[in-house]
Amino acid sequence: MFDVIVRGGLVVDGSGTPGFRGDVGIKDGRIAAVGKVEGEARTIVEAGGRVVAPGFIDPHTHFDVQLLWDGAARPALEHGVTCIVPGNCSLSLAPIRAPDRQRVVGMFQQIEEMPPEAFTTAFDWNWEDFAGYRAAIEKSLSINVAPLVGHSVIRLWVMGPASQERAATSEEITAMQALLRECLDAGAVGLSTSFVDVDENGRPVPSRFAQFEELDALSAVLGEYGRMLQVVPEFYATDITIARIDQLAELSLKHNIPTTFSPLFDTMAVPDNATRAIARVEEHFARGARVWPQMQTRPIDISFSLLRPSLFFARWPRWVRVLRQPLDARETALRDPETVAKLIADTGPDGGEHSMGRLIARGGDACPPELVGKTLSEIAKIRGQAPAQALIDLSLENGLDVAFLSASQGHQMTDRIGPMLANDLVHIGASDGGAHLSSFSTYGDTGYLFSEFVRKAGAMSLEKAVAKITGETADIWGLKDRGRLQPGLAADVVVFDPEHIGRGEERPAFDMPGDGMRYVRSAEGIDTVLVNGEVAYTAGAYTDARAGKVCV
Amino acid sequence: MSEAVIVSAEIVAGHDGSAELLVRLRHPNGVEGPIVLDEETGLKLMRNCGATHVDDLAGQSWRRILEEN
Repeated sequence: MFDVIVRGGLVVDGSGTPGFRGDVGIKDGRIAAVGKVEGEARTIVEAGGRVVAPGFIDPHTHFDVQLLWDGAARPALEHGVTCIVPGNCSLSLAPIRAPDRQRVVGMFQQIEEMPPEAFTTAFDWNWEDFAGYRAAIEKSLSINVAPLVGHSVIRLWVMGPASQERAATSEEITAMQALLRECLDAGAVGLSTSFVDVDENGRPVPSRFAQFEELDALSAVLGEYGRMLQVVPEFYATDITIARIDQLAELSLKHNIPTTFSPLFDTMAVPDNATRAIARVEEHFARGARVWPQMQTRPIDISFSLLRPSLFFARWPRWVRVLRQPLDARETALRDPETVAKLIADTGPDGGEHSMGRLIARGGDACPPELVGKTLSEIAKIRGQAPAQALIDLSLENGLDVAFLSASQGHQMTDRIGPMLANDLVHIGASDGGAHLSSFSTYGDTGYLFSEFVRKAGAMSLEKAVAKITGETADIWGLKDRGRLQPGLAADVVVFDPEHIGRGEERPAFDMPGDGMRYVRSAEGIDTVLVNGEVAYTAGAYTDARAGKVCV
Repeated sequence: MSEAVIVSAEIVAGHDGSAELLVRLRHPNGVEGPIVLDEETGLKLMRNCGATHVDDLAGQSWRRILEEN
């Protein structure tokens, strides 16, 4: 008697080999049989016409806080993600001494854009060490979690405020090594660090004050455990990124550890950015180093409102001058007919139809609901105005708090990105799930991989795409129990419709603590998700299953 | 004193969904390379350079980014 049989689907097992018609039998949370499975089961999941694959693994998220009240990391799980890696970019929620909490909260808010209530009312913060954090999230997980520990919080624990002021002494480095060992023993899957991030006051996060000797010493500890080093390099400059790739390669070889850096994205403004980085990675892999670049699937959008100056307007000097002014003066200028006439004229003889017409009004702010999702061109026609005039007036009518989206402004060239994602040395990830909450949705990237790069572009086979976000990801991170449909492994399974899986439409949701807003995408084409053998999501709804684990 | 000079600039999409300023620099040794500035820093550079358009940045000293005003 099986607990579950997933019957009659196209089994794509995460190895990259061709799929085959068959069944998957599950017992005691593990895959018990794959192929023609005979016998009975308490639950039958009919998968005819569907793909049956290992649950997807998302290697770059910031769900650290959300997991404390939402063990499914919604909506990640409904998109087929059964294992997430939080704690990226040098920040985790442990180890942190109680007096240091507020300092770290500021850093988290800078990255995640999480409302303050998330830290004050949503959970009882009763731990300091990593084991305590693990215990706190393990109470109600329905998704698996492979948590990184953040370099910045390790540094803060050992050095206090000096962690954001100076290099560490040898004694402090030794103390950090001991603390990292304690975290790895408690279930951390590796260490994250950042050369880029800042706190809420614009100050570099603690990890950025580390000298190479410190990173080298911490990497030595990772080597004792064979664990991952995750890095945010100076991705704004290709040459510096390549220098970091070289540095990671040396650490990988010296300490025999896997390393990964993120983000790496394509931009036509620097067309050789990604290709140069990948070429450097290939050189280092040939030497035996492991330096995995993480590349996201989704394109990058620009969003802005008139509440603060945006470089979106940098092509129009008059707009920049007006929007740079203090709020009161800015509103006065935007109400002045003579100024507005000049602003509109600047956008072109068509009143901004060509330059602004495709902007999309976003929800989640003060935008009237009936206009959400419409283009500025459509809104202008409704109002009987030129697009630029409509943008100004609509903003003024709503306290300037109307956000507009300029879609697919970067990392958008499918024909360039597809082959990069298909490269065996490129790690698909960098979703940032759980971060940038009020700016854009960080969910559904796995669905976009199938809709855009498998179905539409044919950049890789279905089997290759599945392997990239399951078996290969598990191998990269050393998650030995996950990523493939093989007898004996954990039964993380997703059943999806290969013709309809997608990332879903972006929409605002007010489900954060304190009714805080975030942008989300609901799943498309996902039938059923099992985590450790239990159905966690099916027929468009989450179940009460709480079978998620901290897995390493 | 030889110093890096801005060759060109353009607006690009940033990783975090903001508009950013990509500045291409020519260094004293003749090498050219790009660097991307976040929104706040990009606007500060334009202000320091008295630029009303990104094209106005061409020819300006990269050192202007250090100015406080």
